[in-house]
Amino acid sequence: MSKEAFSPKILGFLCNWCCYAAADSAGVSRYQYPPNLRTIRIMCTGRLDPAFILRGFAEGAAGIFTGG
Amino acid sequence: MVEAGRSPNIEIVSNADLLSLDGKPGNFTATVRVRPRYIDAEACTACGLCTKYCPRHMVDGYNEGLGITRPIHIDYPQAVPATYYIDPSACLFLQHGTCQICVPVCRSRAIDFSQQPTERKLAVGAVIMAPGFGRVPEAALTRYGYGQHPDVVTSIEFERLLNPSGPFKGEVRCISDQRHPHRIAFIQCVGSRDLGCDNGYCSSVCCMYALKEAMVAKEHDPECEITIYYMDMRTQGKDFDAARKRAEEHSGIRFVRAKVAAVTSWDQGLKLTYATMDGSHGFTGYDMVVLSVGLDAPTDAGKLAAIGGFALNRYDFCRTSTFAPLESSSPGVYVAGAFQGPKDIPESVTQAAAAAGIATGRLKTQRGTGVILKSYPTEKTADAEAPRIGVWICHCGINISGVVDVHKVTDYAGQMENVVYFNDSMYSCSQDAQETIKEKIKEHKLNRVVIAACSPRTHEPLFQETLKDAGLNRSLFEMVNIRDHCSWVHANEPEAATQKSMDLVRMGVAKARLIQPLPEQTVPVNKSALIIGGGVAGMTAALTLADQGFPCTIVERQDLLGGMLRQAHYNLPGDDVPGFLKNLVDKVKKNKLIDVLTNAALLATEGFVGNFASVVQETKGKKMVEHTIDHGVILVATGGRPHRPAKVLGVELPKSDRIVTQQELEAQLAGKAKNRAPGSVVMIQCAGSRGDDLAYCSKICCNEAVKNALKIKEINPASQVIVLYREMRTYGYAEDAYRQAREKGVLFVPYTMDNKPVLAAKGKGVKVSYHDPILREAVELAPELLVLSVGLVPESTDELSKLLKIPVNADKFFLEAHAKLRPVELPVAGIFLAGLAHAPKPLEEIIVQAQAAAAKAAMPLVRGKVEVEPIVSHVDQDTCIGCGICASLCPFQAIQMLKVDNKRKAETIAASCKACGICAAHCPTFAISMGGFTNEQINAQIQAFGAIDKE
Amino acid sequence: MAKAQDKKTGAVMVVGGGVAGVQTALDLTELGFYVYLVEKSAAIGGAMAQLDKTFPTNDCAL
Repeated sequence: MSKEAFSPKILGFLCNWCCYAAADSAGVSRYQYPPNLRTIRIMCTGRLDPAFILRGFAEGAAGIFTGG
Repeated sequence: MVEAGRSPNIEIVSNADLLSLDGKPGNFTATVRVRPRYIDAEACTACGLCTKYCPRHMVDGYNEGLGITRPIHIDYPQAVPATYYIDPSACLFLQHGTCQICVPVCRSRAIDFSQQPTERKLAVGAVIMAPGFGRVPEAALTRYGYGQHPDVVTSIEFERLLNPSGPFKGEVRCISDQRHPHRIAFIQCVGSRDLGCDNGYCSSVCCMYALKEAMVAKEHDPECEITIYYMDMRTQGKDFDAARKRAEEHSGIRFVRAKVAAVTSWDQGLKLTYATMDGSHGFTGYDMVVLSVGLDAPTDAGKLAAIGGFALNRYDFCRTSTFAPLESSSPGVYVAGAFQGPKDIPESVTQAAAAAGIATGRLKTQRGTGVILKSYPTEKTADAEAPRIGVWICHCGINISGVVDVHKVTDYAGQMENVVYFNDSMYSCSQDAQETIKEKIKEHKLNRVVIAACSPRTHEPLFQETLKDAGLNRSLFEMVNIRDHCSWVHANEPEAATQKSMDLVRMGVAKARLIQPLPEQTVPVNKSALIIGGGVAGMTAALTLADQGFPCTIVERQDLLGGMLRQAHYNLPGDDVPGFLKNLVDKVKKNKLIDVLTNAALLATEGFVGNFASVVQETKGKKMVEHTIDHGVILVATGGRPHRPAKVLGVELPKSDRIVTQQELEAQLAGKAKNRAPGSVVMIQCAGSRGDDLAYCSKICCNEAVKNALKIKEINPASQVIVLYREMRTYGYAEDAYRQAREKGVLFVPYTMDNKPVLAAKGKGVKVSYHDPILREAVELAPELLVLSVGLVPESTDELSKLLKIPVNADKFFLEAHAKLRPVELPVAGIFLAGLAHAPKPLEEIIVQAQAAAAKAAMPLVRGKVEVEPIVSHVDQDTCIGCGICASLCPFQAIQMLKVDNKRKAETIAASCKACGICAAHCPTFAISMGGFTNEQINAQIQAFGAIDKE
Repeated sequence: MAKAQDKKTGAVMVVGGGVAGVQTALDLTELGFYVYLVEKSAAIGGAMAQLDKTFPTNDCAL
């Protein structure tokens, strides 16, 4: 794989009840998507402290995905 | 379903037929024949290889014959049990003795063609029949071109077309040439309200699912034109009318009130011929026609009835009575769901709880004797020790290792700090893998476990169970999803998938280092109930709870028990309603477990599920007495009353004693007066409802009108009865009575809101003018009696809503926790709901709902304690500044503000907390931590995420 | 997982594994009873399992 190719690091926060479940379903249905996302499961997006998002960027995330 | 599959106390006997039932209530023996699956359920891992290799095609019954599958298959990936099976009717080996390709393909050697049918004898105390519904006769479908033209489909087939797991992956396409349909017609009442196929009843669900399917199809393709051809739109359920309005106004679905005569081929598509209310005919072209098929009795109803020794009604559904709606004619055999009569999901779920409640109430001496309770070794304390992490990376057969380099990930995990044991595992969820995990925990003194495999949503409980068996706290576990979120979705990028797996494992281990054991919390329960409201719902609930052995107190505002039912004299099926009420009141008064407080009101309630304390004020003559009652659960059954509209159909009601409500007419007809059934009567439906004062449909008024119209005709056959209606909503078996009323000469004349009847005073009486669509002209009448079918409103829900912090909907009825799955529970744990305070409904449904609410309320009382998930929030009171932001934001009222040493502090009510974490995210002083999702743990994960480039 | 013996008191049989049957079974266990859930076909779920949208999470929460 070319190292020049655009390959951003994305950090995801997924709600256990909806988005995490949806990501499971995507797997069950074998939907293919780019492998750039690294996820953290939380029980609800209500748990998301804005500080987590800032810290994600500080750690070098090119984008933050939240799903809930 | 998954929960049922996992419960140690539910044994799923699938692929099985009931052969016989012997014995008596409390002591039945059921004989069941289990047909072979030809696959060893314990060994099958549901990997799906066998289906890929099976050479034979067969029609896919799960997809309504719209797709193909193989004889060896699973209906859908989430099926429970998640075991494949072989359909013997299509398997080449079982039919012709050839093939057997699947046998060597299966890596777990699960395929076993030597399996034979087995017979089992089950000793049970009671039987609950829930066989569901069957399909309407083919003849009802072929009349509309079904079977002749492929683009005439049933609503169930259309449901599959809309489904992402369906034949065209969620795209709606014509079966004939796979084009996208631009014009779709729905035909209602196919196989319902149809004496032609001997289904005289209304199936009660088709209007709702047709609306849903039409709206979903519109979402798929907003350009698509959809028309629903109907007789009456029966959207009488709670908030259903609002959905119908949305379908019309927002989704742009067209409604045509017409009888469809025929569907025929026409050019490329279909031609629909119909007759409207005024007798004119029309025809329109469509690409696709959907038949809204009704629910028929299950095909094996007769067989089940013979085995169970109970009677069926004339339509082959289970016969029951208004007052005992879930009891079959055979003692000890109960019924729930569509077999009791056509019904939707919320009502089926309600009946399920009710049936469970009444069946077990009569077996309570046997309670707990059959259940399996697991015991665990005492947990070691782990918090003081340095983390010793064990990591397992799962191959999941080839599901993960086919893409991800599992060995590379395993070696990578092994280099991480604090990881003292690491290995790969072929199937980490298998029984033998659990044994290995337990051994290694002991051998290496592991105190944290990380498993990289599939989803924690499905498998976390299994592994946590293993940890508990090994003497570890179940919270000391972290799961990394490298299958559903990695190997399956990056199947063509093995390198990137391996890198992602390594990153995810690193993040998981980073969190695992900081995991702390969380105590298993339980709160003891006060085993009694407080019931607010002494109408039929409250009394039925009290008796159901008393049958379970639990004491309860009924708080009734009035001086007598009975509520609104005291005004009822007779009902549609002709039961003795006053007799039933008297009997019910007597039973309640005699029951030693039931305390009744009349002229009483609830003043205050505090506490939480299992431990409520309430103050009730009772008025005795001039004296007021205050009682303080401790109880574990609350049941709200405050009821409703008829609404007296000031305006009807937009005009002020003229003052006249010739205008009465249906309730007043009923009292008059039940009396002895000679001329109690007047010679001319006009009834006006939806008086004050569905637009005037009340926005909603009250569900019972159509039945009440038909009931009283029939009574008038019975007393005075010469009487002229005219019912002006918008839509007759005589759903279910009441449709029979509606038909009977028409046969007896009651005139039903529909009106629309843009051409509505006009009321005016005429001397001492009243005159009504309306448009008759058949005569196509205006008619003016001065009836002897004008009867208003008024709606129902709930009794003072505002007060109680504030007192108990429970929500109401826009129409002031209490709002249940989940309309479909938790219909008798309120969002606040430990508070349950039944009767008219939930929504208007007829007597039979109130009884079932009360039994269901009582059964649900009995559950924490049976358990004797409330278990709390350890992932709840926790407030550090030293750091808390008492600002109260958390308490105001909590959606579950799970945080209370206390005075501690004269300072305001927040405290979590663990039993009510749902672990959402809103409080923790908003606490300005970081005083709140979430068990299993602490700031430190999430920050460690984020940091480990950032380490991707730093290596 | 340990299976209960077929001869036992404190057990109830539910015939049919659709939404009503499954929910009845779950409620029975909560009330302290062992349940045999007898289903004709190979998997439980009944007609509900064919529906789209009613349970959008596919989890059907049962």
